[in-house]
Amino acid sequence: MGVSAPLLSAAGVIASVVAIMVDGRRAVAIAVVFLAAGLAPTAAAFGGAPGVAVLAGSAVASVLLAWIGWLSGRVLPWLSGLDPMIPAFAPPDRLFGPRSTRAFGAAVAILVASWVSFNVPVGQITVEQGLLFPIAYAWVCGAVRLVTARTVEDLAVGVAMVGIATATAWLLRNGNDALPGAAFACVVAPLAAFLAGWLNGRSSRRTQTRVEVEA
Amino acid sequence: MNPLVIAAGWLALGLVTSAFLRRPTARLVAIVPLAGAALTLFVARSTTAAVPLGGLSAISGLDRAGQGVLVAAGLSMVLVILLQPSVDPSMGRSIGVVGAAATITIASNSPLITGLVLAAAVATLVLRWVDQAPGKVSLAAGRAAGTGTAAILAASPLLPLTGFTTGERPVVVAALLATGVAALLAVYPLGGWAAGVIRTLRPIEIAPWLILLVPVVLLVAERIPGGVLGAGTPVFEHVLLVVGLGSAVWGGIWAVRGTDQTRYGRVFMADIALCVAAIEGPPVSPALTGALIILVTHLTLAPILLRPRDGVLVWPRRVAWALLSGVPPSPAFWGRLLLLEALAAGNVGSTIAAVIAMAAIFTASVMACAIRIRPLAPPGWRGRVADVAAWLLVAVGIAIGLAPQSLATFVFGH
Repeated sequence: MGVSAPLLSAAGVIASVVAIMVDGRRAVAIAVVFLAAGLAPTAAAFGGAPGVAVLAGSAVASVLLAWIGWLSGRVLPWLSGLDPMIPAFAPPDRLFGPRSTRAFGAAVAILVASWVSFNVPVGQITVEQGLLFPIAYAWVCGAVRLVTARTVEDLAVGVAMVGIATATAWLLRNGNDALPGAAFACVVAPLAAFLAGWLNGRSSRRTQTRVEVEA
Repeated sequence: MNPLVIAAGWLALGLVTSAFLRRPTARLVAIVPLAGAALTLFVARSTTAAVPLGGLSAISGLDRAGQGVLVAAGLSMVLVILLQPSVDPSMGRSIGVVGAAATITIASNSPLITGLVLAAAVATLVLRWVDQAPGKVSLAAGRAAGTGTAAILAASPLLPLTGFTTGERPVVVAALLATGVAALLAVYPLGGWAAGVIRTLRPIEIAPWLILLVPVVLLVAERIPGGVLGAGTPVFEHVLLVVGLGSAVWGGIWAVRGTDQTRYGRVFMADIALCVAAIEGPPVSPALTGALIILVTHLTLAPILLRPRDGVLVWPRRVAWALLSGVPPSPAFWGRLLLLEALAAGNVGSTIAAVIAMAAIFTASVMACAIRIRPLAPPGWRGRVADVAAWLLVAVGIAIGLAPQSLATFVFGH
């Protein structure tokens, strides 16, 4: 049975749009889970079961490490630090906020990813197939998330998106080093999730302490 | 000794010192770069230079130039820490991670491993910077430098280019690698973040980037066009030549216009931009030698010039600025002369831009020398030791100026 390129692209695009738009304390884990799910069909087509396992492992590890990081940040008593959710700067009020900018970036990313998909071959993929589209789109969305970041959480989401996209691109190489390379690239996402969880845990402990003192 | 072991040493010591040192013993953080430099002396030597344009491969050794850069940078970092008026012990973490990343970067043939370790280094620095000075400026470092490392990661599945030396693929790879290098070296238009952090943060905070990371990325950038980049080679070289020259001129102008507090950072950025432009220019030999002389000059003088201006080390600072001015026989003169020679082999436009940048750097150095500050007597034995160390560094700077080629050969084997 042949691979349906539009179906693979649709899954990747939906996952990338969710990942680029998601906000909140669990943003990194949500972005990684959606992106891994959206790129899993592409990974399955070229990396087989091991390819899907790499992405699934990364998603599970991200959720677990985000939770472990959050728990450790709350429990360890001698550390305090920055809140990854507080914007590092406050831009003046304007018509289009940060999410609008990201949505605009996601729209532009379609053009970039389309060009890459039809002109840049990776490994066994020939330029006519256009199967690089979902990966290129996820990567460009990750880069947009990085460039438009207002918080440390945004940076972590962007880095995780780039990691998952790069890992899937490694699966498309189809060489001896494809699977180890994908596994290496995937490491970025759980680490970013852990870091964001850790910072969230520390800042939530600090908030709780302040509330207790005020009470 | 394998570079991975050395990187593990940097990392372990950095984490241990940041966890256990307290304010009174904070200067012991200097153990991290000192041990890193010492371990690097015993590294397994590789006859070929590592270029991150291959597939996933094992890390086996370091070439002579890479070893020289790491040892010189480690020793420079030690002196930066020792000459600072105060040190935060948690700095050990950033120094350890960045030192480890620098070691692996210069030893790795794999763009994936290079991108990952550089991402770790950038993330560590950015978290620290945002923690120290939350704001647009520190976050911009994460945006720009983070995107740079993301670009290197994106290039990794497209490499090696064996069998794909023509067409769009090498051009896309070259554009991604040029973006990564420009962002990490803070070359305009991706360099605004460095100017911001230099203005906002204490000099010791930016030292791991400036001392440990920049020399390594510069050396890697010089090696990339020598690898298999096919049709991407001219793209990589021309992009970095143009943005490097523009950045050097811009950095030089701002070194003159800016405040005294940010002047050294601006001069450093302008010099690095000149080096980037020259080594990506025509393939002639003086460029690399000139860049290495400029690097060793900055690594020697940075410990003095990164100390906040506080009435201590006034005269060593003046002599250090004189050595950076480009007046013969200062080491900066020989370095910039070789860079100019390399650029002049290309076209007259490059030469004119480089001369403007060098004139601006000279003016900035003269302005820095001319600032009057009443010298304070060094407080106690610690101040006197700092004074002696600063004068020794100045002496090394003069020695480099008197025998630049020999010193570059001694340090880098080139």
